[in-house]
Amino acid sequence: MGPAVDNLRQTMDEALSNGDTRMVMNLSEVPMVDSSGIGLLVRYLAVIKQKGGNLKLAQPSKFAVQTLRLVGVLNLFEIFDNDDAAVESFV
Amino acid sequence: MPADFSGVPESSELSERLDLSVPADAEAIARVVDAISETLERLEVPEQKRFEVALAVQEALANAVVHGCGNDPSKQVRCRLQSNPEGRILISVTDPGLGFSPERLPDPKRQENVYADHGRGVYLIRQLMDEVQIERPGNEIRMWKY
Repeated sequence: MGPAVDNLRQTMDEALSNGDTRMVMNLSEVPMVDSSGIGLLVRYLAVIKQKGGNLKLAQPSKFAVQTLRLVGVLNLFEIFDNDDAAVESFV
Repeated sequence: MPADFSGVPESSELSERLDLSVPADAEAIARVVDAISETLERLEVPEQKRFEVALAVQEALANAVVHGCGNDPSKQVRCRLQSNPEGRILISVTDPGLGFSPERLPDPKRQENVYADHGRGVYLIRQLMDEVQIERPGNEIRMWKY
């Protein structure tokens, strides 16, 4: 919650307003994802998928993956070991 | 099925490790979570367990700030960390709100809730911690990690 989630929301809104619908979010600097962050991820995933795109995750920490699994949303996302593999998967 | 608290140690065995009262805002939450993590590290709690407790505390504090205090930083949230000689950890978070009924919370794993942007906090706490008690009227949560 707080500034981290607010900043992410602003970034995602800007990308969407630019017409971007194929996105890769690198989580390597995010040790922990809380429920407000998860809520944001699934909300934007739904919006982006409605526009025919996708939101893919790169380099999530082990604990972030565990957290997504715990709340039953891990299988909604495609997850990659690095940015390049995630970007190439759109081609 | 009702929770079985037969294994929960008596309070008399517990040592107070941290007792913080902070304003109900996001910055204060971050400071409390950092203080909890540092205390757990001093107690030589393994990293995985520290992460799990820190996230559960963050969720409990966020609920206290948003629902218990209505995001009003003039209100205070209290967080205590206690431990016993066996290494069991008890964290309690208290807010001045009217509380809530945990049985009325939706199941975030139901298909219709999977894309919801909220409603996972208490569920996550229950998954991360070993025992969770929500004291009536629901403005204090007590969370055990073994």
